[in-house]
Amino acid sequence: MSAHDILFAALRRLCPDEEVPDAIAARAGALARAMQACLPPLEFPDLVENFVARVTAEKVGATVEVLAGWEHLPDAVARYALAQGLEQEVALQPDPRLLALDWGFVRDVPLKSDTMIAVGVARGGIAETGSLLFHSGPDAPTLYGFMPLHHIVALETRTIVARFEDYTAQEQGKPHPRNVNFITGASGTTDIEGVLARGAHGPRRLHILLIG
Amino acid sequence: MNADRGELAGTFKERARKALGDAHLRVALDRTTGNARTKRAAAVAAWPDFDRARAAAAAIKDHALQNFPYYLEQFERNALASGARLHWARDAKEACAAVIKICRETRAKTVTRSKSMLGEEIGLPHALAEAGVRRVETDLAEHIIQLAGETPSHIIWPAAHRTREDVSKLFEKHHRDHLLLTEVEAMVDSARRELRDDFFSADVGISGANFLVAETGAICTITNEGNAELTTTPPRVHIVTAGIEKIVATTEHALQLTRVLVRSATGADLTQYTTFHCGPKRAGDLDGPEEFHIVLVDHGRTQMLEDMPEMLRCLRCGACLNHCVVYRKIGGHAYGGAYPGPMGSAITPVFDGLEPSRDLPHACTLNGHCKQVCPVDIPLPTILRDWRAKSYRQGFESRAVRLGLALWAFIASKPALYRAALAVALPLLRRRGKDGWISALPFAPGWTESRDFPAPPEKTFLARIASGEEA
Repeated sequence: MSAHDILFAALRRLCPDEEVPDAIAARAGALARAMQACLPPLEFPDLVENFVARVTAEKVGATVEVLAGWEHLPDAVARYALAQGLEQEVALQPDPRLLALDWGFVRDVPLKSDTMIAVGVARGGIAETGSLLFHSGPDAPTLYGFMPLHHIVALETRTIVARFEDYTAQEQGKPHPRNVNFITGASGTTDIEGVLARGAHGPRRLHILLIG
Repeated sequence: MNADRGELAGTFKERARKALGDAHLRVALDRTTGNARTKRAAAVAAWPDFDRARAAAAAIKDHALQNFPYYLEQFERNALASGARLHWARDAKEACAAVIKICRETRAKTVTRSKSMLGEEIGLPHALAEAGVRRVETDLAEHIIQLAGETPSHIIWPAAHRTREDVSKLFEKHHRDHLLLTEVEAMVDSARRELRDDFFSADVGISGANFLVAETGAICTITNEGNAELTTTPPRVHIVTAGIEKIVATTEHALQLTRVLVRSATGADLTQYTTFHCGPKRAGDLDGPEEFHIVLVDHGRTQMLEDMPEMLRCLRCGACLNHCVVYRKIGGHAYGGAYPGPMGSAITPVFDGLEPSRDLPHACTLNGHCKQVCPVDIPLPTILRDWRAKSYRQGFESRAVRLGLALWAFIASKPALYRAALAVALPLLRRRGKDGWISALPFAPGWTESRDFPAPPEKTFLARIASGEEA
């Protein structure tokens, strides 16, 4: 017998499986609802307000700017680079919404291990924790969120949901992407004496451009 | 397997004695565990229903374990459909062999690795070294202890035994730019520069998994530094090593468990990076591994399912370590295994056998703090007490301990004799006490060498009951 078969034989002996799949799924659903009944409270009833409060809280430590529309994105990125004393060059995530914009004097450069700024688009936001959601794909390579020192992310406010449970409900029955990334603040570590320091290996700064 | 290493040499008692005399270790442990306790307390205080959530989290894990073969089979089916390759290992040796085989087939010279306690448990660092594969630890704490040539001393903060001053010296000696740094931020920066090239030139990236999601076949990693994604995305091959008990039914369950896990570990509401990895690179993807392997490891899990199923709920958050009065005094290396503290004392006997590890369940005051802070309510004190009883029944305890217990049982089961013995012993003990504490006990000098014994109160419990006093 293979290791696989030996293992499953032992598990079947220890877990006499009497329930049918429908009953197991119903039980799993009931357990998720039991957890939903005791979640941590949201500070603000308004999802966008709560999201902004979470991401800018000291624990998460991101910065936020609100924009009236996509067309204002290049200016906001240029202002950020200027304020940080960085060159006007960014690695643009190959998202059609970004590529369609007029970037003026901001240069689009390839993503490298020492890229200073990358600009990406989050698929959604979670108000409870201030998390940004990314699904990997041809227009959303994973590394744009991890290689640069500064990660600037565009997020449409209408895509913000309250809880993780709202996200999983939305995704029910849809194909699973290769990577699902929830990004909550810039990279950090508490590995030296439990003290938080930013920019461990991923971005040191996370700047969110909220598009209303 | 690590018995030859300096910090793990000798018996538990020898290592613990050495640790108790190490003032520098105490500073490091106090700083890290103190910060961890403060942050956890604040996070829990902001969640009024946290206790109900702990019970709900325990029920979610129990549900997966009650339907273990059903969910594991579902995971297998969905992972294979995603293009992942699965490898099953009954023990540590088979698990390491599976990883080494993949490395050989890939002709891997360098592997990057993001922190995985399962990897430590199965001795993967040692196996990679034997196979001649260069291993680059990318988690900051793992990087620190790799430079120091040590093993982890905490499951969340592997370098909990190291102060910032130690780290400064290690980096000055080993990093290519040999800078003497005093600020933690500057040290983090230095590690970033040092490891940057390895992320992008490694042949294989190895990670652990916090969850195996049955409904999708994805594995979930939760990290803070971003090193996991930089370890698993650029190399051609990503290998996941995971214990089979990481199985959960759904993505929703995994995210719900993450809420209690992260608060208990670091006091954050969520880790910076919560990532679900599902299969290899797909058509049109610009990054991602071409091969995605998952090594699923039993190594005692089926045994635990039979003997102490609650232990398989463990999310490896480390809260029981930070709140354990014993761990906080002796640190992780004294325990001798991959997992220290209360959860380590509960599972090390499963891996190593009870006889050589029986001192671990004894190194516990049974104060119950570990159970109180456990995000999935594991009855750790009960499990440790069961190990003690088993050790006694199997005859592993010394003649002196057995005789002492027999004498105690003889006296304690005869009320008149018990009261007479107390009437003699208590006044003697009271006389030795100073400000309510006894600093040296007759017959037990070893016990009071590093701790005080509480002096008996004026009235015994029995006397207070007899006089109708409220407890």
